[in-house]
Parts: sequence; C-alpha cells; structure tokens
Amino acid sequence: MTTLTHKSVAAPGKSIIEKLNVFTALALGIITAVVVWRLSLAFLPQDADGATMFTREDKITLLSMCGWFVGFMTGIGALVGPFRWLMGKDLSHDENMFLAGQDMGPKRYLRYTTDHKVVGIQYLFITILIFFLGGGLAMLIRTNLGHATGGWIHPQAYNSIVGTHGILMIVGTIIMVTGPFGNFIMPIMIGARDMAFPRLNALSFWLIVAAAVPLMWGQFIGGISTGWSAYNPLASQAPLGMDGYIMYICIFAVSTMVAGANITTTVVKMRAKGMTWNRTPIFIYGTVASVALALPAFPVFFLSQVLSAFDRALGTTFYNTAGGGSGWLYENLFWIMGHPEVYVILIPAIAALMEMAPVFTRRPLFSFNVAIMGIAGISGLSALVWAHHMYMSGWAPLLNAPFMITTELISIPTGMLFLVLVGTLWRGRLWMTMPLMSIFALLWNFMIGGITGIYLSDVPADAFLHGSMYVTAHFHYTLMGAGLTGALASLVYWFPKMTGRMFDKTLSWVSFWLVQIGFNVAFVGMFAVGLAGQPRRVESYAPTFNTGNLITTIGAYTIMIGMLVLLYGVISSARNGVKAPKNPWQAKTLEWTVDYPIPLENFDVLPIVTADAYGYGKAKS
Amino acid sequence: MVDVMTPQTPQWWKKPDVKKTAILWVICTAVIGFVGVEFHVRSMVRPASETMSGVISLMRIFTWAAAPVAGLVGAMCITVLTSKRHYGDNPPAEADHEIRNSPRATALWVVVSGILCLFALVTGMIVLQQDNKAVLDTQAIQINVTGQQWVWNFDYANGARSQDLYLPVNKPVVFHITSKDVKHSFWIVQMGIKMDANPGYTTETAVTPDKIGVFDVRCAELCGLLHAYMQTKVHVVSQADYDAWLTAHAATEAGA
Ligand code: HEM
Ligand SMILES: [Cu+2]
Ligand SMILES: [Cu+2]
Repeated sequence: MTTLTHKSVAAPGKSIIEKLNVFTALALGIITAVVVWRLSLAFLPQDADGATMFTREDKITLLSMCGWFVGFMTGIGALVGPFRWLMGKDLSHDENMFLAGQDMGPKRYLRYTTDHKVVGIQYLFITILIFFLGGGLAMLIRTNLGHATGGWIHPQAYNSIVGTHGILMIVGTIIMVTGPFGNFIMPIMIGARDMAFPRLNALSFWLIVAAAVPLMWGQFIGGISTGWSAYNPLASQAPLGMDGYIMYICIFAVSTMVAGANITTTVVKMRAKGMTWNRTPIFIYGTVASVALALPAFPVFFLSQVLSAFDRALGTTFYNTAGGGSGWLYENLFWIMGHPEVYVILIPAIAALMEMAPVFTRRPLFSFNVAIMGIAGISGLSALVWAHHMYMSGWAPLLNAPFMITTELISIPTGMLFLVLVGTLWRGRLWMTMPLMSIFALLWNFMIGGITGIYLSDVPADAFLHGSMYVTAHFHYTLMGAGLTGALASLVYWFPKMTGRMFDKTLSWVSFWLVQIGFNVAFVGMFAVGLAGQPRRVESYAPTFNTGNLITTIGAYTIMIGMLVLLYGVISSARNGVKAPKNPWQAKTLEWTVDYPIPLENFDVLPIVTADAYGYGKAKS
Repeated sequence: MVDVMTPQTPQWWKKPDVKKTAILWVICTAVIGFVGVEFHVRSMVRPASETMSGVISLMRIFTWAAAPVAGLVGAMCITVLTSKRHYGDNPPAEADHEIRNSPRATALWVVVSGILCLFALVTGMIVLQQDNKAVLDTQAIQINVTGQQWVWNFDYANGARSQDLYLPVNKPVVFHITSKDVKHSFWIVQMGIKMDANPGYTTETAVTPDKIGVFDVRCAELCGLLHAYMQTKVHVVSQADYDAWLTAHAATEAGA
C-alpha cells in the first residue's frame, strides 16, 4: 500500500496547510468580522428618515456574520483545496496524508482533518457540547416554570432561552447519530477505507462549528425570541439576535447537504465486495434514509431563512402581508423542511437499535424486508404531511382533510418498525445490557409518542391540542424518548470501537434508569398540563397548572442528573475503562473485525462479504 | 425460513409463551385503555360546548382503538423480559429458534394497522365536516376578533366592543379572526376551538357554547414579549343577560 508510507510531514518551510488549525480559524474569523463591521459602519448609508423599515443594523450584523463565516472557513483551511483547483493543481500526496491526520496525536482533532474516524469523534464532541448547552437552557426553563408563583426570568430572556434551547436541540438531535456514528462507524461497517469525499466530510463538521458562533453571538444582541420555528412576521420584528439564528440555519443547512451528499455517495459506491443491498446492515439504510430526507428538506430551510434575511435587511416583503407577501409562505417553507426533519432525527436512531437488537437477543433481525419497507414508507410519506403543523393556521382549511389522511397513513410504516423490533425480541436470548434495555425504552416511549401523534393529526382534536403543552410533550416523546434513547444506546454500543475501552456498565445502567424515569415523569406531567389548557412557550401560567409543572420540573432535574452521570461515564471510561476486546458484543458486522487503534485506512485487506450480518442461531425447519 | 404461523410441534398457539402473551395481551389492553382514557379525561378541562365534548369522546375512542396494539407490544415485551435473561460480560448462546420473517404475521399487522388508520380517518372526517359546516351558518351571531400584542378585542354586530368576550348560551357563534401585528392564535380552551389570527387575513371558526359560566381565552401562538399574559375571559350568559349587556355597551361604545 503506497498510501501508507510514512513521510516526514514537518519538513522545514511548513506549507500553509500545516499552519492552519482551529486557532488560526478563530483569529481570522474574528478579525474578518471586526473589519467587515467597521467597514459597513463607515460606508453603509443611513436609513432614510421616513423609511418604514430600519434595516441598516441588520445589514451590518448580517455582513459581519458573513465576514466571520468566510474568515473562519478560510482560517481552518477549507479553501486550500479549491484554491489549488483554481490554479489548476491539486493537493500533493504529502498534503493529503497530512490532512488525514496520520500520527498526529490529539492535535488532529483541532484541524481540518479528513479521516472519517477523526471527524466522527469531532462530531461526538460537538454533539455532547450542544446537549450540554441546550440541556442547561432546558433547566433554566424548567426552573422558571417550576416555581408556583411564576417566573423569575424576564419574559424577553425567557423567550430567547426557549428559542435557543429549541434550535440547539434540533441541531443536536439531527447530528447525534449520523454525525458521530454515521461518520466513525458507517464506513467501516460497509468495508470502506474512508468516506467518498473526505474533504467534504471535514467541511461538514467545521461548518457546524462556524454556524454555532452566530447563534451564540445572537444571544448578546437581543436573543432569539421567536421560538425555534421563528415564524414571520414575528421574526422580522425581533431584535438583531434573529440574524444570528438566520446565519446559524443557513450555514448548518449547507453542512447537512454536504454531509448528505457524502454519506449517500459513500454507501452507494463504496460498499465492500459482496455487500449487496440484501446484505447491507439496517443501520446503513437508516443513515442513508435520514440524509436522503435531509437533502431536499434543508435547501428549503436555507431558502426560508434567506428570504427572512431579505425581509429584515433589505426591506423586502416576502412574509409581510401588507406588502403583498404572506406569513403562510414562511410556515409552508418551514414545515416542508420541518416534518421530514423529525424523521431525519428519528430514523437513524431506530435503525441503530435495530442493528443492536439481533446482537443482544442472539437471533436474526426479524423481517429485514419489512424494516426496509417501513423506513422507505416513512421517508416517502413524510414529505407529504407538513401541513399538519398548520391545521389551525387558516392557510387552507380545505386541505386539512388530505393532510390528515397522509399523516395518519404514516402510522402504517411506523407500525412496521415496531413489528420488526418486537419480532426480533420474541424468543430471543436477552443479554441484559443498557443497549438492550434501550430497545424496550424506545418501544415504550415511541408508542406514547406515536399514539399521541395520531390524536394530534386528527383535525378536530388538534383544534384543542394545537399550541398547547401537549404538542411539546408529544415531540419530546418522539425526539428524546425515541431518538435520544437510540443515540445513547449507540454511544454505549460503539464506545469500545471508538475509544478502545468499554463503557462502565454500572454507570450506563444508573444513567439509563435516571434518564428514562425522569423523562417519563417530566413529560407525563407535561401532557397533563397541556390537556388542562396550558399553552406552550409561556413564561407564567394559571395556578391550576402548578402541580403538573412541578412534576415536570422534578422529572427534568432527574434527567439532568442522569445525563451528568452519563457524561461522567464517557470521560472516566474513555480514560481508564476496561480495555475492550476486538468484538466485545460478538456482533457480526464489519466494524468489529478491525483492531483498536483502527489503522488509517481501516482495513489492510478489504473484506469480502458473503452473508448478511444477522446469521445468529441455526435455521430450524 | 419458517413461518411463524405454520404449526410446529406442538401447534404454535399451544406453546406456553404464546399462551402467556395472549393472557397478558388482554390484561395490557385493558390497563392501557383504562389508564389512557382516565388520564386524558381527568386532565382535560370540563367541556363548555358540544365541540369540546366531541374532542373528549374522540380521545376516548382513539385511546381504546390504540390500546390493543400497544397492549400486544407490551405483552410481548413482558413475556420476553420475564424469560431467558442473561447477565454477564459474554453473550448467551445464540437462540436456536429462528424465525427470520413471517409474511402472514406481517400481512396481518399491516391490515390491522390499516383498518385502525381508516377508522381514525373516518371518525375524524365526520367531526371535521360538522365543524366546517358550522362556519357557514349565516343565522349565527357574528363576532370579529382582533388580536394585537398582547390583547384581544371583540367587535359585535351592533358596534359594541369589548376585551372580555360575551356570548349567549346555546346560540351558534361564528368568529372572524384577524391580527393587527404578528400571528396570534385564538383559543377558547373549554370550548375546544382554536384558530390563528393572521395579520392581513381573516379566518373563521365557529362554536355553540352550551354552559353558562366563565371560561378562558388564551393565545396559543408565541407572539412576543407578553404572549403568556395574552389571555382573557369568556362570559357565557343567558340570552336575556346577553341582550342587556349588548344594548348597554352598544350605547357607550358607539358614542366613544
Ligand atoms: C406516528 C407518527 C406521528 C404523527 C401522526 C405525528 C403527528 C404530529 C402532528 C399532527 C403534529 C402537529 C401538532 C400541532 O402543532 O398541533 C406534530 C407535531 C410535532 N411532531 Fe409529530 N407525529 C408523529 C411522529 C413524530 C416523530 C417521529 C417526531 C420526531 C422524531 C415528531 C416530532 C414532532 C414535532 C417536533 C412536532 C412539533 C413541532 C412544533 O410545533 O414545534 N413527531 N406531530
Ligand atoms: Cu410533523
Ligand atoms: Cu401569543
């Protein structure tokens, strides 16, 4: 293998590539932002005195944020390759090896590193960071709402906390499975040496870092006071912090598209010899379905925010009825992204648990074909249901019935996923581990999330439920109860392959029960106050809702403790956990055939696949 | 590949785990249905209109329709969890019994979920159609509702205007809803109706209150700083009281 030869990379006269890292990126990002800010302050014309819209400050903010973005991406090295192409060259072999991060120790995690395993760990790190921040905000929300006499946070700050919590968690849950495990594990699982486009892989990660800064920046210039859905015209009226939201979404949307194109291509083109579609593990299907759903959805999200930026900064009226636009346009764009997006989150998490189900029951996956039909059915239908979020918007009352039909039809493919999971568990030999119990937890939570989804999809019932805490509880049951449960199980399951050490068993159990019990306490309380008539996104409420809110707050603190235990488990197990054998779970997928530390190109000899990964037990006939 | 439905030795329905699951299924269904319905009905506000009573019975029906499905999954989980558990750092032996798929079980599952789905749709459609018709009632009392940050204004046919809503009992009402600034959502909690107030558009919803009393209007769409406080009361009164209130207010408001 010529590609594995060791070259001295730190030759004298370091090339530009070797000088760039996250610190140069931060520095260049900040400098560019400040320069653009000063320039636009100096040169942008004042708003006319009689102007109906004051847009100058939005222009300045958005331009400075663009400056940050360009500076940061240049500073991290995203442009080195494209510049070479412009000059008619490509990166040299040495430079590519440098980018892959061979033998560079921890430093490679701070660079534009192309090795998919490094990118996976980077994703894991940022996912944890996002959940930490978003979880902290959730605790502020619950503390504010837990107090019987009402809130102590100022309403403006409260609204901003709710919005920031929402959008942080949405992004966190979108990347929580496809980011860490889709990047680290997926290529090995299909027997590939890397992703199809390693540089795009690095790009997708660093775009998320670049996106996060405007969101944080927005907190200091008025916050995101519109909720995560950022409905217009409220958003055009909101303070400058809204521009931070807009930039965050636009950059994140690009990251998702890049990652989606990369993952799809990798799976289609780079599976090992013999890995026919029938032998491709179900987790791969889940990952591809997820990013394939995101591919059409996120450009729409991007567009919705670009128009929002135009309305704010250029005085256009896309979403302003008085000027010929419509807020319903925004709602449509938003939910055309928004509903597929919830399945972007859910499908890989369920698919990961389906991958684990045979391992921990020691029997084959029940009805592989039905699992695929379920995933495909959900993906197809989920593009056609978006207006169930708009039943009560008044946009098109006559379309409520058709959207009710498509929405309720989704329960059929969703049911198939349940069938596959219980079918696999049935007569299995249960190996009692945290990932196994997570399957039961998912069945429980997703059953509740799914059934309440059917109530919500019924238009007359939704006339009562819409906009209430009931909706909030429903989607936490699906996103957190189902999605996050799958992601945490994935963490424990693949931890040995990613760190070389086992996740501490006791800690995994303790955190599992704390999170699951806390979760159910919290959100059953939330269902109750929703049914009693408490609207969502309120910072104070009538005394009748006291008990339910107190219960929810107690549950939320329990979740927090559970998550902290998990975090402690991650850190302590990664540092001094028991060294993991090559295949601690005796699983049959390819990622368990490589040794830790995994070589740069994963396999010395590419594997050849002759059967699917679920051949547990003997066929009895 | 063995079909789950094909009789083995002994017939599949006579196997102890199947029997156990069947019994558990009945129990789980009953418990889930009962607890689910009680939880919803007890948590929900007392209805003040037929629309809301309809919502409550919908929840009842849907919960009972979903209970057998949830009950089956629950029963299978309990059966599985109460047998053959293995603890330790190494996996148990691989399960000797192999059912890799079962077209019949799948078909049955899909047909049943299809029927349930159809049932939910038909039930929903019937109620939806009644709600839609109510909006067209020209005999009904017509009230204009205007949301603005962060109050509700109600305009009556005779020119009266109020910030508390007054309605006569047992008379159909149609609301014409709009907003002066951003989106709000007009929600009469105990009557089970809700409709967004959009700037630049007028949307409609209708209800017939059937109880005298004071009920809640809350804004159900985040509309800025004081969204949480954008609430008011609905006073449902007798026809005579309503007429008296209306004439009294028409005079003062018209002059103002
Ligand atoms: C059985 C399938 C499901 C059905 C029938 C369903 C139905 C619905 C309906 C009708 C709404 C709108 C309620 C309203 O605003 O009045 C809704 C909201 C929502 N659902 Fe689901 N849902 C299902 C599964 C899921 C899943 C799997 C997820 C996520 C993984 C999810 C996440 C959400 C979210 C995030 C919202 C609220 C968004 C917002 O308003 O901020 N749902 N669901
Ligand atoms: Cu949806
Ligand atoms: Cu409001």
